[in-house]
Amino acid sequence: MRALRPLVVAVSAATAVALLAPHAGAQGPTRPPAPMPLTPAQFPPFAEVTLPNGLRLLVVPSTKQPVLSVTLALPAGSLHDPAGRSGLAELMAGLLTKGAGARSADEISAAIEGVGGTIGAAAGADFLQVSTTVLVNDRELAFDLLADVVLRPTFPATEVDLLRTQTLSGLALQKSQPSAIASRAFARGLFGEHPYGRSADETSVGAITREEIVTFHSQRMRPAGALLVVAGAVDAAEARRLAERAFGGWTGTAPAAAAARAIPQRTRTEILLVHRPGSVQANLVVGNTTWLPIDTRSYALTLANEVLGGGSDSRLFDILRERKGWTYGAYSSVSRRRGIGSFSATAEVRNAVADSALRELLVQLRRMGAEPMTAEEFDRKKQTLVGRFPLQVETADAVASQVANARLLGLPTDYVQTYRQRLAAVTAAQAQAAARAAIRADAAYIVVVGDATALAKTLAPIAPLTIVDVDGKPVAAADLEVRAGGPAIDASRLVATSDSFSVLVQGQVFGFQASSLVRSDDGWTYTERSQLATIIQQTTTVTFGADLAMRRTEQTGRIQGQEMGVRITYAGGKATGEGQVPGAQGMEPVRFADVAVPAGTIDENLASVVLPYLVWTPDARHTLNVLTSKGAVQPRTYAVTGEESVTIAGAPVVAFKISVSGGEAPAVMWVEKAAPHRLLKIAPVGQPIEFVRVR
Amino acid sequence: MRQVRRQMMRALGAMALGAGALAAQAPTPVKVESFTLPNGLTVHVVEDHSAQVVAVNVWYDVGSRNERAGRTGFAHLFEHMMFQGSANVQKAEHFQFIERAGGEMNGSTQPDRTNYYEALPSNRLNLALWLEADRMRSLAVTAENLKNQQEAVKEERRLRVDNQPYTGAFIEGMPALFDRTSCFAYSHSIIGSMDDLNAATVADVQAFFDLYYAPNNATLVVTGDVTPATVRRLVTEYFGSIPRGAAVPPAVTCGEGGAAGRVERVADKNATLPAVLTAVRTVPPSHPDHPALELLSTILGSGESSRLNRALVRERRVAAGTQALFNPFGPMRAAGLFGALAIANQGVAADSLAATLADALRQGAEGFTDAELTKAKNSWRASTILGRQTALSLSEAVHYAALYLGSAAAVNTDAARYEAVTVADLQRVARTYLRPDRALTLIISPEAR
Repeated sequence: MRALRPLVVAVSAATAVALLAPHAGAQGPTRPPAPMPLTPAQFPPFAEVTLPNGLRLLVVPSTKQPVLSVTLALPAGSLHDPAGRSGLAELMAGLLTKGAGARSADEISAAIEGVGGTIGAAAGADFLQVSTTVLVNDRELAFDLLADVVLRPTFPATEVDLLRTQTLSGLALQKSQPSAIASRAFARGLFGEHPYGRSADETSVGAITREEIVTFHSQRMRPAGALLVVAGAVDAAEARRLAERAFGGWTGTAPAAAAARAIPQRTRTEILLVHRPGSVQANLVVGNTTWLPIDTRSYALTLANEVLGGGSDSRLFDILRERKGWTYGAYSSVSRRRGIGSFSATAEVRNAVADSALRELLVQLRRMGAEPMTAEEFDRKKQTLVGRFPLQVETADAVASQVANARLLGLPTDYVQTYRQRLAAVTAAQAQAAARAAIRADAAYIVVVGDATALAKTLAPIAPLTIVDVDGKPVAAADLEVRAGGPAIDASRLVATSDSFSVLVQGQVFGFQASSLVRSDDGWTYTERSQLATIIQQTTTVTFGADLAMRRTEQTGRIQGQEMGVRITYAGGKATGEGQVPGAQGMEPVRFADVAVPAGTIDENLASVVLPYLVWTPDARHTLNVLTSKGAVQPRTYAVTGEESVTIAGAPVVAFKISVSGGEAPAVMWVEKAAPHRLLKIAPVGQPIEFVRVR
Repeated sequence: MRQVRRQMMRALGAMALGAGALAAQAPTPVKVESFTLPNGLTVHVVEDHSAQVVAVNVWYDVGSRNERAGRTGFAHLFEHMMFQGSANVQKAEHFQFIERAGGEMNGSTQPDRTNYYEALPSNRLNLALWLEADRMRSLAVTAENLKNQQEAVKEERRLRVDNQPYTGAFIEGMPALFDRTSCFAYSHSIIGSMDDLNAATVADVQAFFDLYYAPNNATLVVTGDVTPATVRRLVTEYFGSIPRGAAVPPAVTCGEGGAAGRVERVADKNATLPAVLTAVRTVPPSHPDHPALELLSTILGSGESSRLNRALVRERRVAAGTQALFNPFGPMRAAGLFGALAIANQGVAADSLAATLADALRQGAEGFTDAELTKAKNSWRASTILGRQTALSLSEAVHYAALYLGSAAAVNTDAARYEAVTVADLQRVARTYLRPDRALTLIISPEAR
């Protein structure tokens, strides 16, 4: 929050009459000045040499400031993760600086930070990069550390555990982020079983051993095919001396990459809808694979993409945001992996306009190849791309990263020097032809992350639709629908009970929940009291008949000092309710009348009461229809995903682990495997809170 | 055997390092040429032909500190208005002109200043100057633009404050270190309250523009591939005829008081882990203690080897992350803000984290070594030098010197103040400022959902 930046703001067509400020009396020039002459810029000079061990050295000298940055890039990206071990390259990269040579993790950070420098490593799809930045006087230390972390990492077991834990936390967090869910699903659909399509998950990261990390390092971190980039206040001779001292004795060639599965050839457009219950927005990603980075049509495609969705001065932004007001932003991009390129367009839109926005996106994608661009927009975008050049080569670092990128992708040797001229030479017809070949509305893979109950029906007419949950498991369309009946629960088996749960927040007891089910004259009364520190207190009473027909729900309480409460009555298959409940912006009033309630629907609060009476087997899957406090009838699906031992009052209890979907937030429940299938534990996904049975 | 050789190599390496380190590296000195137009616009130019890039950067001497009660958030709201068009520039055209020229632009609001900048190919210097002059002369202050921007800022608040963990507690809580009566300037957040944002009127905007957005309250810095003569000619042509504005009221002061010594508890609906923030009031950048305080903040909480990271993250493992805060909202000319932040690990209660952080800060304020001081100076030097690699970042450095240190020339002399800091200085400022009775502590807990 150091600085608040302005949002680029919607432009309305109306032009208001400006109330000119008093000091506007004197006029300045009324038209923007024409560009001044510019000496034709050359790509800044750099030197390249290959050392005897096969390591390529790239030097970009600059005396502007006494700084030096050094990056070693190797073909050791996640492409080389063995099957079932996705995340290995990334984990190994993170561990390089956590103990190397004679230094511990603390000693490495103390050494580099002691001179005000930085060092770090990260793995991408194709390449792994290790980078360090220092003041030039500290260059010997920088090369020492770089050589240590690349050649002699020690991978201490405690650091492996620490980084694994941090990685797993990061993966858990990603599941709560729709954009992260979307990009994982998109890569998977686009590249299929090819390693580009795989992402690290809990299972693969959990399975990686220290030994595998050591093996990956010794096989993959080899000088043949590696590129050492030195940018800053040293000349080529000094850079070579430093490089040879640090890496001269390094030898070897990595084994050939394992044969990768073929990338799918798509022949029709299809949609993957990732069900994220309760999502108020839909994240759209539309795209396809393109071609190898060396394809000469790439210049023309760069221009076409810029016209379509490059920044806020492009078609997608103008149409989807400025004209339609459907989204905060809509963009497209082309990306280049060494093995294949891809095109994608993205937008985040409200549920209600998701289908319209997707249709419009597809229309605009198709238009790129089908219609000529106007000369005005084509020239304007060409001017933007070519004009950006001086800023792209302002620092030695920026120059180095452009040259390195070209080398790593295997582009022609004069690529960086001729890039602008080749871009300037592209014609509008070539851009259109490139778009026709590489922007494929007719063979696109579409990922939509959002609430499938709100989206499935409107998206289905656009293209064949598959629905999965956030873990990628199929969701049956039927699970999204409210059906009359629900599972058969033999109400005559209900028995009076009282239960008590501890509420844990990050493992600390924060409160309790106590409930009781007692017989009344001709039915039942369920009462539940919850207290979470001083933050929430709530009492719920539900009365229902001996046949499980709902009669009345009453809920009262305080949340954060604010009163909440709902009263719902049921009559003749309809529910009517009123009150105020927590919403996105604090307490929100609710009022609904005569909502149709299919037979078998139960109050939301009763789900935990009836669960023990369902049939629980290792592959059980039940859908209950519930009425929420906001008056919505929703299907809740309870599916057994495995068996686990849960500790209750110090003793292990064998339980079925059940994933719950369909509510505002997904949750996991544990139900005792043996009858009477007591509910043992509830944990909303992605939140630090748990309800655990006390006894 | 190999082990021994490695040890020897390292000893040799250390010697080489020692030799190189004899001459501490300083930022490359810059030559600043300055002039002032008759209407009061001050201009600083730094000529540097190493890349075909120019930065045009206007700072207005106005920020959230100039706001009054009932109109918090106004300086930032006004910043948005500056992108809504002027006499010869339509809405959104400012952005389009710069993008089509291959450049970048933005603006930002801090307590003591508001900036607007463009970085672009140097042959478009004239375009950036023309755009800045046109809005300084003739901003389109209309009810429609105001309404539109009120909504945009409220949306920004929802997106960046109300929907983010810790941010709300931080930006609303920390200013309580200053007293609302004697120091209203710094006792409220930059983004302001929703009610105040709603209350802004077109008359407010016009009055704000007339008073603060006049040439005599602005400073223009141009850095990069230009000559001072060209800059002077173009600046005179575009800005020369903008009339001088009324005299700006004297600078605000900041009296004592505030919530120092208090512990506040805050529930955060976006957080999933507890966090603790603690801060003390310090001194402005021009004060002699400022360099020692900045180096102290590096020693305590910058990087993996910092005292707080070693204590909280690596040794006691109570925190997932920790860092020092040094003027986190931007520098202030009437006060300073120094603090620390820690986010709990899974399973660590807020109170336990708060106690551990307080303990680490108590220990962290004693026993400084020469090695730590050297590290902090190296770190300051490196980040200063690395932070001047582009024309835009250099223009910010010149502005900083001019506004907070009193002269643009201080861009070259400020480093000497940091080099002169001793271990005794660190000890003295730690004992003077870093005291529990001066601290405001915010204990943030996830609001159960």
